[in-house]
Amino acid sequence: MASTELPVGTADASTEVAAVHHVPLWRAYVPVIGAAVVLALVPVVIGDSRYLMGLAVLGLAYAGYGVGFNIIFGNTNQLFLCVGALAGVGAYGTTILGNELELPMLVAIPASVLVAALLGAAFSWVSVRRQLDVIFVGIVTLTFSLMFLNLLLGQRELTGGETGTVVLYDTGIVGARGLGSYYVFLAVLVAYLTLHRWLQRSHVGWAFRALRDDEVAAELAGIDVARYKVLAGVVGSAMVGLIGALYANYEGFISPTTFELGNVDVPVLVMLAFGGIGTLLAPVVGSAVFTAVDEVLRPFSQLRITVYGVILLVLFLGFRRGLIPTLGGLVRKLTRRG
Amino acid sequence: MLTVDDLAVGYGDSIAVSGVSLHVDEGEAVAVIGSNGAGKTTLLRAICGLLPTRSGTVTYDGDRLTGTPAHRVARRGLAYVPAERRLFGGMSVRENLELGAYPDRPDAARMDLVFGLFPRLADRRSQHAGTMSGGEQQMLAVGRALMSRPRLLILDEPTTGLAPVLAEEAYASLEALRGEGLTVLVAEQQVPLALDLADRAYVIEDGAIQLEGPAAQLQGNPDVRRAYLGIA
Amino acid sequence: MAVVLDGIAYGLQLALLAVGLTMIYGLGGVLNLAHGQFAVVTGISAAVLLDRGLGLPAALVLGVALAAVLALVTDATIMRAVYRLEGEARVLLSLLLTIGLAFVIDGLLIYNYPFTQLNVRVPGPAIPVLGVPMRRGSLTASALALAALAALIVFLRSTRQGKAVRSIIQDEEGARLCGIDPGRVRTAVFALSGALAGLAAIAEGLTSSIGATEGTELTILALIVTVVGGLGSVAGALLAGLLLGIIYTLSQVYIGAYVTFIILLLAAMVTILIRPSGLLGRGA
Repeated sequence: MASTELPVGTADASTEVAAVHHVPLWRAYVPVIGAAVVLALVPVVIGDSRYLMGLAVLGLAYAGYGVGFNIIFGNTNQLFLCVGALAGVGAYGTTILGNELELPMLVAIPASVLVAALLGAAFSWVSVRRQLDVIFVGIVTLTFSLMFLNLLLGQRELTGGETGTVVLYDTGIVGARGLGSYYVFLAVLVAYLTLHRWLQRSHVGWAFRALRDDEVAAELAGIDVARYKVLAGVVGSAMVGLIGALYANYEGFISPTTFELGNVDVPVLVMLAFGGIGTLLAPVVGSAVFTAVDEVLRPFSQLRITVYGVILLVLFLGFRRGLIPTLGGLVRKLTRRG
Repeated sequence: MLTVDDLAVGYGDSIAVSGVSLHVDEGEAVAVIGSNGAGKTTLLRAICGLLPTRSGTVTYDGDRLTGTPAHRVARRGLAYVPAERRLFGGMSVRENLELGAYPDRPDAARMDLVFGLFPRLADRRSQHAGTMSGGEQQMLAVGRALMSRPRLLILDEPTTGLAPVLAEEAYASLEALRGEGLTVLVAEQQVPLALDLADRAYVIEDGAIQLEGPAAQLQGNPDVRRAYLGIA
Repeated sequence: MAVVLDGIAYGLQLALLAVGLTMIYGLGGVLNLAHGQFAVVTGISAAVLLDRGLGLPAALVLGVALAAVLALVTDATIMRAVYRLEGEARVLLSLLLTIGLAFVIDGLLIYNYPFTQLNVRVPGPAIPVLGVPMRRGSLTASALALAALAALIVFLRSTRQGKAVRSIIQDEEGARLCGIDPGRVRTAVFALSGALAGLAAIAEGLTSSIGATEGTELTILALIVTVVGGLGSVAGALLAGLLLGIIYTLSQVYIGAYVTFIILLLAAMVTILIRPSGLLGRGA
């Protein structure tokens, strides 16, 4: 069955992949470097405010989630509605391993990231084997998210239940909550962006694009669709898991609501929708906008949710390709006429 | 009655049918013959409102039909029997026929006519359409189309999957229906049967009309005989 | 035994909640993730009207009507864009847009009516059923659900319009060729699904209570039942509802609250992995 174009701007992701292949190495990574430089200067602008620094780190974290989800959904059409849960696996994994088993951070983090990666692999592999439609992948991962949430709430002795759990071990530079922490997150994000760009430029990027267009045709053309989907699932899930783990260490405290669907998956969707799902910088741009909007709306408590709903509606009714790509297209059209 | 003028129909970037013009007068039987993939189905589906058209017009009784959605085309007196039949497998023969008359109440007289035409259906009134054989399903599909009292019956390859005996029976029913005043437009790969039934015929290949004329004339045409009648 | 009866009662409510969702999917290949919010709208509006002094029947009827109207508006606006797409794109867009709608409704209701609850009390002692005393509220809710579901089944099986609905689910093109307008039918059924969600909310209000924060949970329950029963199958929703209702109450009594929800979710996950078409859905 030929795939239909999804209502989210993956067309731009394909254009990006094509464009990026024919460009010399250094030019391909300019956006990454540019973003890195801009983001590196943020602490300078922020100054001393610990609160704003906390927001900035949160923004970086969400951008990290975005890159992971971008690779999974934006690149291979796997609707993993479990970003929050995967982050939670990373976060709770590290915390529990560190607290209960007293494993050092540098062991606990990779261990929990591995679990997240394995989960991603499992979801991808099962979806391919059972030939699940996008919607079913979504429902399976959604149910996993909810199960995970309930597990966290239920296993109180281990996870602290609703009230959450405190990180008791030494978190080094990450938990120091100073400039260092910010740059750790930034380094990770830049690494993610670099990896994404590298993937786009490699044969993997072509394979992703082909299987996005038409899975059956790609399979017939000799592309091992299963392998690439699992690859995307593993890489993306690991990315998300790592951010979750780092964030747990940074905050020193985690609770189930931090990783709820409404707090992670939905904002990530909105962020990417803004910037164009599948494109490299969408997570960065989207996160910046979203963090700002979230802050502005903070005093409105529950009405924030309504505003996000409206944003979702407007974005997906009017700007299917993403706000930025649509505006970009408009600009190109206008400048061409001139 | 039905006029198609310079019609073009496409899928995505490709054009499946272009520059097709044909007409069907009241009371006639017209055949559209061509090989697999020639564009017959695309043409019929476009006429019936199941496919959007790129350019050209379709007129029915002097009124514009182009762009009319399928359910309204059906209500205007054109009934289409697709090659896949599209029956309601989970419903009985009787229910399928009743729905054919939608939005009107099913006419008992009409149902009797259909059962008279296809006695085998009468025997299976309560049987679920999904459990019937190919031949019976074909009969049901035609019967369902008749329930709306159409003036023009359009059929796409009615003999698909039918044994020769059943195919002949199908065309015999069409002949009988013509006797009742029904106008028929049929697309067919099994050319001999179609040309026997039809007054006129069009030959379509590669999405365009290649030949047209009275059926007898086409039956005698050496190219047609070679290509479609298997006669060297 | 008491547990099983409770399970059946709850199961009927689940079926009532899910049947609208599954029909919409069967008719148009779309998922309405604001379904639970439609139910909550009924609950809250009925509660508010009761507070203002309106009589119980009127408040309930208006509440249900409001949900139906809301559904109609949703269909006329959001779903228009959704139906323009096909296949996977369509269902994905329906997901995204209805999530947005759910957020809009949730935010407004939780902000304005954070403590409002619909709680319909049926006075009188418990009535023994098969030797087990059942609370009147629970029995009333079951009766309501049973009546609504029965009416729906009669509608679908015996009326021309109901058969038209089924015909679209079975073969949309065939239905078009019979002169049936899928667009009109989808709109009507969407409104109906809103009303059914509203009735489910009333049933919830009879057995316990329903408030503004429960929208998402109701949507998820409806989704689970729909998936297990088979997307698009009304009979499936009924069967799955009853089954899951019994599993739910058994699990609540013998295992525990947190695990119960996990079990329901597991049921949905296992269904998709083993037989995506659900219990009574067609094909694979």
